[in-house]
Amino acid sequence: MAGRQLLMNFPVTATSHTLAEYRARGGYAAIDRTLRTLKPQDVTQEVLAAGLQGRGGASFPTGRKWQVVVPGDGQPHYLIANADEGEPGTFKDRWILENAPHLLIEGMLLTAYALEARHCFIYIRGEFDLPYRRIAAAVEEAYAAGWLGSRIAGTDFSCDLIVYRGAGAYVAGEASGLIASLEGKKGYPRNRPPRLTVKGLYQRPTVVNNVESLANVTVVMRDGAAAFRTVGTEKSPGTRLISVSGHINRPGVYEVELGFPWRRFIDEDCGGMLGGRALKAIVPGGISSRVLTGADIGPLALSHEALWDVNSTLGSGGMIVIAEGTCMVRLLHIMMRFYHHESCGQCTPCRHGTGWMHRILERIVAGQGRPEDIERLYYIAKYNDGTTICGLGDAAGYAAAGILDKFRDEFEYCIEHKRSRYEGRIECLRS
Amino acid sequence: MPEILINGRKVEARAGQTVLEAAREAGIFVPTFCWHPQLSTAGNCRMCLVEVEGRGLDIACNMPVSAGMHVLTDSPDVQAHRRAMLQFITLNHPVDCGICDKAGECSLQDYHYAYNGQPSLSVEPKVRSTKYYNLSSRILLDNERCILCLRCTRFTHEVSKSMALGVESRGDVSVIRPVADRPLGEDPYSDNIIDLCPVGALQSRQFLHKTRVWYLEATPSVCPGCARGCTVQLWHRKREWHVKALDPAQNASIARVTPLENPAVNGPWICNKGRDLAKIFERKRAAGPMLLGAPATLEAALERARELIGAARHPVALVSSWGSNEEFAAFQRYLGAVFTGYVKCDARPEPGERIEDDLLIRADKNPNSAGARALYGDAPDELPEGTDLVLVWGEGCDFGALPRGANVIFLNAYLAPENGHAAVFLPTTIQTERSGHYTNFCGVVSGFQRCFEPAAGAVDAEALFRALAAPARVHA
Repeated sequence: MAGRQLLMNFPVTATSHTLAEYRARGGYAAIDRTLRTLKPQDVTQEVLAAGLQGRGGASFPTGRKWQVVVPGDGQPHYLIANADEGEPGTFKDRWILENAPHLLIEGMLLTAYALEARHCFIYIRGEFDLPYRRIAAAVEEAYAAGWLGSRIAGTDFSCDLIVYRGAGAYVAGEASGLIASLEGKKGYPRNRPPRLTVKGLYQRPTVVNNVESLANVTVVMRDGAAAFRTVGTEKSPGTRLISVSGHINRPGVYEVELGFPWRRFIDEDCGGMLGGRALKAIVPGGISSRVLTGADIGPLALSHEALWDVNSTLGSGGMIVIAEGTCMVRLLHIMMRFYHHESCGQCTPCRHGTGWMHRILERIVAGQGRPEDIERLYYIAKYNDGTTICGLGDAAGYAAAGILDKFRDEFEYCIEHKRSRYEGRIECLRS
Repeated sequence: MPEILINGRKVEARAGQTVLEAAREAGIFVPTFCWHPQLSTAGNCRMCLVEVEGRGLDIACNMPVSAGMHVLTDSPDVQAHRRAMLQFITLNHPVDCGICDKAGECSLQDYHYAYNGQPSLSVEPKVRSTKYYNLSSRILLDNERCILCLRCTRFTHEVSKSMALGVESRGDVSVIRPVADRPLGEDPYSDNIIDLCPVGALQSRQFLHKTRVWYLEATPSVCPGCARGCTVQLWHRKREWHVKALDPAQNASIARVTPLENPAVNGPWICNKGRDLAKIFERKRAAGPMLLGAPATLEAALERARELIGAARHPVALVSSWGSNEEFAAFQRYLGAVFTGYVKCDARPEPGERIEDDLLIRADKNPNSAGARALYGDAPDELPEGTDLVLVWGEGCDFGALPRGANVIFLNAYLAPENGHAAVFLPTTIQTERSGHYTNFCGVVSGFQRCFEPAAGAVDAEALFRALAAPARVHA
């Protein structure tokens, strides 16, 4: 077990997601106590003190995001849980939605109390079926038990929660694209400024938090900031849910205490590499984070600061493990097909850049690469970076530049010999 | 008043302004495709990327000014990014300028030569899409040329409010498409999106492949379609190209009509009726003066008219609400003492035409009712008892409703059955053949200029009024 556990600290059974069992585990005690004894700003202060960072990808301090929303400014505020988990390799929010939906609901209530939000939304990915049924049922349960609706737990606090299903777009996982989609428009991200915490849903101050961040709010308010800080590292307290996939013996969702040695996590918790092969590379946090080689991760701990130091990020917690013998050209080609397919097409660099990169890679994979193609990919990645409306455009560039930086020789080989060094393999063959 | 630095120059900006607006007001040009002063900020073309010292690059159209910021609109980094944005935009854009109506006035063409000038870096095949998509009976859409600046969709959402256009699909295959239950054909302002389009994606059917824009020049004019009096530009063939016209009719016809931006009247928009001024002005013209339907010389017709005026005891004039202020003044000067003048409503709404809305279109379909009403009262349903001579100036008069036995002097530009019923018929010039001013419904006076030679036989109404008052030589 990769350190202490805060979210996955109960055995998952056929009924462990229900309200009754959640209550038996001490659920809804934190919101009950908070509503009776704390003021809204106390919750924000507690989350700030806990040093909770967003778990969606950018790792922005959750409390600082909340602080932008001014209490009592006469406008309605909104809270949205971003459950549009679309980053390839990431499926950790799914675990919460399926197995601990009330943890999320309680976290949203606490956050709504802190933000003085009367209406909350869960924007859930359209492809999520069981998670949707579980969270929708949990919301029903919570309404029936009086944990949602008006005058919650006999206090003056009222809060309504609406579960909204997306229609399957990667870009709707971007906070402003999500808001546009929730408003019933095409999921086009918005230009900042104004920030969403100033003008978000229906042009009102809106906080969009990741599902795991909101679940962690429950943990912070349940255990207190001081206790939360004892878990994890100084700069990144708490745990992360990591969804591991790829050439690994035991893929799945793991809760990892931040600061846990990475290599140990791979070898012990995840049961080591598939077929005993050597570790070639790891995509640490969804394909939009820069790839790291096996050698890079050897000495690293799983924490935000350790990955920032090597110019990557824990991102969305979607870890893809890649064994020796995998063709990185083909891998980048697959990634770029995804970005090309999912580009919303709103702004110029991403609309054309992703397609351009995809077509170049398609040519390289087909054995028709040209020597200038690598420079061209770098060129596109460079001018995608920082020029797009949302971060997803940059991410396509990061993914390309990240793999090109580390595995340029494979691309050169593929262009020169008109075939892949690893015969275009992405599956892991037993050696 | 935050003071900012643009390229080292001090610029006084207004609070709440964007850097783009401040720069343009200071005369510093920042290229844009999607930005338009009358539409919301979309920020999707990324062409207006500028550098702020210490903060890196961002788009100027969505960047609020803050005191002390130093903006660079032409740094090497900005130039490199502009080049890259043009590389991206032209990646799938067909370079078919040779057959594109927009060529010569296309932002993409201009910016390409100004900021990039290099051939495409791409060797990949271009993404193909729909050519000649039928948006309405007036507009064709070429999706390959479209750069998805979304000016057209924003126009239909924000200005004309028809909500007729949206974006279908996503990524580099996204296309502008009409919304199923909101036909663009019913939007009376739809043609503005053709002007708004920075490239040649939206094409006017009536102008399609008719002529190259560099053969044309624009003459400022006023749309006579309603009392709004929108200022327009009438595009017609340049004089130096007259000899090369395939058909001489091209030299005397309106190629297209575009708005002439005028914040006091119409902003940058006009309605589709204004685009179709050729339908009004290019009707068959009256051939020459007539006496009770028999062709006559101008001198004979004028002589007969003067006789009738001299003999009349109760002469009445129905003054055209399509007359210019100058013509009203001439009428008042030469004939005002003789005739009792009334304002005549020349044009009434056509079947199916939008009567009135809160954007531009007015219920009064005449351009100068306000100018005429300043001098005369509205025509009564029945002219006074004893009226023995009626001078009818302009169209829209029901001859059957005129007093029985009264003689009619009729001034009209177009061929009409009534022309032959008048005791004296005199053909006049039309708006495109003379200069003048109209006063619109809220009192704004706008001028129009002559762009064509008068049609054969047609005489300015001003000259006719002078000749009717006293014998003088009139040149046809």
